[in-house]
Amino acid sequence: MAATAQSGNLVKFSGHQHLRSRLVLSILSGKPVRIDNIRSHDKNPGLRDYEINLLRLLEKVTNGTVIEISVTGTAILLKPGVISGGAIIHECPLSRSVGYYLEPVIALAPFSKRPVQLTIRGVTSDDYDLSVDLIRTVTLPHLQLFGVSDGLELRIKKRGAPPEGGGEVQFLCPIVKQVKTLNFVDPGKIKRIRGIAHTVRVSPQFSNRMIEASRSVLNRYIPDIYLYSDVYKGSESGKSPGYALSLLAESTTGSIHCAEATSQPGVAPEDIALQATRALLAELERGGCVDRKHQSLVLLMMVLGSEDVGRCRMDEPTPRTIQFLRDVRVFFGTSFKVVPADSNDASCHHLLYSCYGTGYVNANRTIA
Amino acid sequence: MDVQHKQHRASRAGSKAEKKKGKGKERQKGFTEKAFAPKSGRRADRQGRRKVELDQTRLHVPLVNRTPEDEPPPVIVAIVGPPGVGKTTLLKSLVRRYTKQTLTDAKGPITVVSGKKRRLTFIECNSDLNSMIDIGKIADLVLLMIDGSFGFEMETFEFLNILQAHGFSKVIGVLTHLDLLKKASTVRSAKKALKKRFWTEIYQGAKLFYLSGVLNGRYPDTEVLNLSRFISVMKFRPLIFRNTHPYLLADRVEDITPREQIRLSQGTCDRTVTMYGYLRGTNLRLGTKIHVPGVGDLDIKTVEILGDPCPLPDVDSEKRRKLSEKQKLLVHAPMSDVGGVMYDKDAVWVNVPGSFTRGNVDVLQGEGEQMVMDLQDADITLDDAVSRSQIRLFGSSLKSLEVRQTANEESGMNHNHEDDDMENGMCSDASQSDSEEESESEIGSSDDDEDDEIPFTSSSNLKNTGRLSRRVHTRTLPSTSMSLKQQEGIKYADSDSDLGEKNDEDEERRVRFAEEDEDVDIRSDADVSEGGEENTEEEDTPKWKTNLVAKAQVALASSQQGKRKDWIRLIYNSELTPEQILNGQTIPTVVGEEQRVDEDDDFFTIKKSSEVVLGEEIEATKEGWSKDELSKWEDEEILESIRHLFITGRDIENGHQTANDEATIDEEGDSNHSGDEEDNSLQDPDPARIASLSAKKEALKRKFDEQYDDPSAAITTDFYTQAKDAISHQLSLNHAEFASIADSTARALVEGFRPGQYVRIEIGNMPCEFIQNFDAQYPVIVGGLLAAEERMSYVQVRIKRHRWFAKTLKTNDPLIFSLGWRRFQTIPIYSLDDHSIRMRMLKYTPEHMHCYATFYGPASLPNTGFCTFNSLKGETPGFRVSATGVVLDIDRSVKIVKKLKLTGVPFKIFKNTAFIKDMFSSALEVAKFEGANIRTVSGIRGQVKKALSKPDGAFRATFEDKVLMSDIVFLRAWYSVIPRKFYNPVTSLLLSDKAHWQGMRLTGEVRRAEGLKTPTNVNSVYKKIERPQRRFNPLVIPKKLQAALPYASKPKLMKPQRSQTYLQRRAVVMEPEEKKAVALLQQMRALRKDQVAKRMEKKAEKRKEKEKKREREQKRKGDKEKERKKEAMRVIGQKNKREQEAEEGKGWSKRQKT
Repeated sequence: MAATAQSGNLVKFSGHQHLRSRLVLSILSGKPVRIDNIRSHDKNPGLRDYEINLLRLLEKVTNGTVIEISVTGTAILLKPGVISGGAIIHECPLSRSVGYYLEPVIALAPFSKRPVQLTIRGVTSDDYDLSVDLIRTVTLPHLQLFGVSDGLELRIKKRGAPPEGGGEVQFLCPIVKQVKTLNFVDPGKIKRIRGIAHTVRVSPQFSNRMIEASRSVLNRYIPDIYLYSDVYKGSESGKSPGYALSLLAESTTGSIHCAEATSQPGVAPEDIALQATRALLAELERGGCVDRKHQSLVLLMMVLGSEDVGRCRMDEPTPRTIQFLRDVRVFFGTSFKVVPADSNDASCHHLLYSCYGTGYVNANRTIA
Repeated sequence: MDVQHKQHRASRAGSKAEKKKGKGKERQKGFTEKAFAPKSGRRADRQGRRKVELDQTRLHVPLVNRTPEDEPPPVIVAIVGPPGVGKTTLLKSLVRRYTKQTLTDAKGPITVVSGKKRRLTFIECNSDLNSMIDIGKIADLVLLMIDGSFGFEMETFEFLNILQAHGFSKVIGVLTHLDLLKKASTVRSAKKALKKRFWTEIYQGAKLFYLSGVLNGRYPDTEVLNLSRFISVMKFRPLIFRNTHPYLLADRVEDITPREQIRLSQGTCDRTVTMYGYLRGTNLRLGTKIHVPGVGDLDIKTVEILGDPCPLPDVDSEKRRKLSEKQKLLVHAPMSDVGGVMYDKDAVWVNVPGSFTRGNVDVLQGEGEQMVMDLQDADITLDDAVSRSQIRLFGSSLKSLEVRQTANEESGMNHNHEDDDMENGMCSDASQSDSEEESESEIGSSDDDEDDEIPFTSSSNLKNTGRLSRRVHTRTLPSTSMSLKQQEGIKYADSDSDLGEKNDEDEERRVRFAEEDEDVDIRSDADVSEGGEENTEEEDTPKWKTNLVAKAQVALASSQQGKRKDWIRLIYNSELTPEQILNGQTIPTVVGEEQRVDEDDDFFTIKKSSEVVLGEEIEATKEGWSKDELSKWEDEEILESIRHLFITGRDIENGHQTANDEATIDEEGDSNHSGDEEDNSLQDPDPARIASLSAKKEALKRKFDEQYDDPSAAITTDFYTQAKDAISHQLSLNHAEFASIADSTARALVEGFRPGQYVRIEIGNMPCEFIQNFDAQYPVIVGGLLAAEERMSYVQVRIKRHRWFAKTLKTNDPLIFSLGWRRFQTIPIYSLDDHSIRMRMLKYTPEHMHCYATFYGPASLPNTGFCTFNSLKGETPGFRVSATGVVLDIDRSVKIVKKLKLTGVPFKIFKNTAFIKDMFSSALEVAKFEGANIRTVSGIRGQVKKALSKPDGAFRATFEDKVLMSDIVFLRAWYSVIPRKFYNPVTSLLLSDKAHWQGMRLTGEVRRAEGLKTPTNVNSVYKKIERPQRRFNPLVIPKKLQAALPYASKPKLMKPQRSQTYLQRRAVVMEPEEKKAVALLQQMRALRKDQVAKRMEKKAEKRKEKEKKREREQKRKGDKEKERKKEAMRVIGQKNKREQEAEEGKGWSKRQKT
């Protein structure tokens, strides 16, 4: 996993992990990236179908990107172009949900030439990636912290549960000249909890059951809890049955924490709801100003901020975040100062991440 | 000794009081308040609005100034003007004014201290356009010099236009040579005229200085003093480009390429060059690419902070109102020899060319002197020489002796880490039991070769303070030098004294190091253990025993509260995988690494299969929570334990306590228990609790103050003040956030090098011509590039030809752009937006209008200004700035089109269908255009239908009406044009003749230079076009149709009459009266004719006379004009002669007014 800046601008990595963040960083920084040894020792070597599909999507989002994949599929070379945006329609394979594809696009979209209008079809929620509900209610508000707000929207046209999918969402994102500097050190206190229990092609009663079960745990904390039941019917409900509960807790200072659980065969909806609720509580206990799933997004936007010091208080980094921080240094030369947030309080595991923004300006933007 | 004087009391009565009263009243007479009072309420309202509007016009958009206010870099003051105007004289006068020194040869930037908070860097701009462009990009203040006796010159206007394109820096005009004008009235009128012109160029009321004659080779002291006062109070508004890019004006350039390499390549190898200067603009990050205008894009190898060679006055001198004399003497001008005399802070250096100077053959050299001279020739260090030598211990031994260094290097590196930690102080309180072993092992490895370790402990740049090396040797300035990368190459000293110096310092350093070991100041465990280890060998009472208790406590604390990790180090400076970091693993010890190295020595190594992943790892955003983590939330107590996180919960401190003590949670309402708790807190006040209480109190107090005490603080201010406050708040935060990092390396890592620091930038792969043809009179700038600016792409700009540029600009003609830091030649294509549908190519730029241009070149941020030139050479006649504009867009593709008309002719016509040929050459082409709109010349519209099989490229087309065989059918298509991928940086600094850079030439220019004739294409030759008269057949309407037509529409075509009519045929016999009348009429007509002819003749005569008169007049006028021209040429000739003399070096003596 050693990353070394080679002669010229080319950045080299090895291994299939953290592919998305590396591609995003490469496109944003404009440095070509070469990734070797992609599952070279695996029984089924090379890129997976969803990874190739991701590369296709990135090619659509950008203009002038050159992607070379080796014959065996174990190495790729990406020479990034400019992020062009515009109206894009993309079909995802069923192996990953649309969250997998939306995450890199969300990081790129504010810096494109034209506002992004991405219509993406496939599975809308699964166990690995953020569901479209969480992206709509949690990820996009995180972007709003950085001044990307007007016209930022995710429309869920159809839902599609695994394995057959059949969902469709539309992602609209405005462009910005420069993202604002973040200074977010007060996590605040949780003031409200919201949730969406959605069901497709199963009894609508399931969502009510999930809500009930979740409320049984959450009601003790605060009264401001609204869990919506969202039932999709007919052609909007995709091809497979399924249901899920996604929860989010918002604090007085606007920090959002989230959790969700999706239907599993042979598990009662109540259990799914409890699983989601407990995950939310575990997340809340970890605390900080930013949800653990969104650490790298927030850190990326901090790096891309104006040439000022951005600060954010978060929980300990996830493995993904640690590698992300290392990659950021390779691409942008920016290191974070990571110190305990509260030096007096030993039990506090929060860290204060601060960095000096690179002054990244959306060079793709057109003025005319 | 203050004598208390009685206060003056104005008399209230008496004659004096009366007088005063009267005076006051008198004064009041002049101003009647009523006269200026508004007549009506509406008028008052309007006046009020106007006042507010005027106030608003005074405001400017708040901009962030990234230059630090506490220690800003010197202000760059550029002295610009045409040759012979007195730039050098002004420079010398100003330097003299600030430093009391007379420069003999002023070259390159000269930095002086001008005040307690301000330093100035003077730089003289030569008359080369390249230098003017570069200076225009970096100068904060321009002293624009104008010859008062001559007026403005083209260079001045060119420079002003360059400034305008790259952000207008402040300009002060300086008028010289006014003493050459004899009459006072001429001087006055010249001043007035020049001032007027100057004001129209810059702004109304721009400052213009007048310098009268030269005294002792300087301008009069009082005038220079006045000018310097203006310079010292000048305020600068941040310019956007400079406020987003780091840059540096190099005041010293050195070649540090190994001499051997140069010798082997005969001087043609790429050089490694160091540049010194004050950083300006924004922070210079690591990994930033740079552009040196005149050279090209380069990579920074290393950056080091050096001690300030021209420091601002320090704290104790700060107390004084004025600068001390010592400060005044400080001048930093490494490129110009300050008269062979160098004033330093504490010494004066006199450079005497004498016995130790090389190339001084005529002076006799003794043995010692010869030796010193020889030592200067040494290429390699002693260390290196030993390692290269092939000494064998015995004649029979196979290998020669070698110096091993790997182990030392490693230990040295570790040592550095160790030092970092101590300085960081961040982990000083945390236990470092893990690093204990590490340090032990280090000691083990470093003990035996302590001598070799020294080079690492003493940073090699300790004495490097940014001065020329030969002056360094007794310098005692405190230096904060630090090296970011381990110096890999061997450092060559410029002189032997340098080498000796280094050794001395090393030794000194070593002694200090040893002392430190003696009296160990216990700061961290690592330190303790290190000291302890060494002391055990010498002393009886082992030191490690002394603070066992403390250690145990630390260990206990760490086990209790979990280890506090040094996250920065774990993330950035370790090879651990993220999972290992989170599992609490620490950085592996050095011993392990060494072992691995040993393993590598084996020829065959077993391939590790650790890379093989058994199960498919899916990269997931949602990390699953483990069963345990979720199931613990079934517990009621755990559920309650996070209540403090909700708004319904209690304070954090309380909640924290409850987490520790479960009993308290359950009985919240129990007053008894809470009483106990209070007692506890009284007995041993928890510091955290106290802190929180005080913080709360503070917040409450502030709230109270806002509400009651200080209404101004709480008032919601207007947008302008709010924006300004936000900016200053963010700047203070920027300043404070990383100030706590004591280690400058770590600090540079997170925030880069701050502006205002004096740095040394090492640049690799510099073309050798840069060094070979180096001339200090041409400015060397290091400009940092943003990530977007490193790449090449198609750049779309809005451009307007300069109205003073004589020619129009043509598409596909090379043009030299000055954009961002760069100067480059490229080939633009001009275009204009055509109904917002397409970008249509233009052959030429339009007159007095903006148009678009697209070229291939390095990307620049949108909104960056630029200017262009057709030629940079000095002898180019006329105005050289050919166009100016601004960048609009950067893309990887272009959408410019030009019109393409395909024509064809019908060869068979049916009703509304026709077969068309000669438009395409194959059926495939037709297939491409199926459905395309076509049109005939007569305006009949149609469509391409399908290709025909028979004549190649023929097709069937349908029209809205029947076409004629004679019609030409055409298809209007758009052909996309792509700019040529041509980018040619202006490498003027690499030339020996820097003012004569030659880019790509036009074909015509090449032909003219080579004396070739333009080849003519026969088909392009104009021939007379012969068009045969077209014949039209008569319209024939079938009889049947004619019969069916109504009368009105029936063709009424009749044949012309053949036979003569009666009127034509009859004979006429006149009556006698009639005959007479006709004769009379004829006579009258003849008379009239004669009369007219005579009149015409007379008129012609008169005209001739008039013509003659006019000619005479013309001749007289021409003579006068000739005289005038002659006079003008004489003046110009005189001026040229003067310039020539000035160039030959006589000029200056001529100006010296005898």
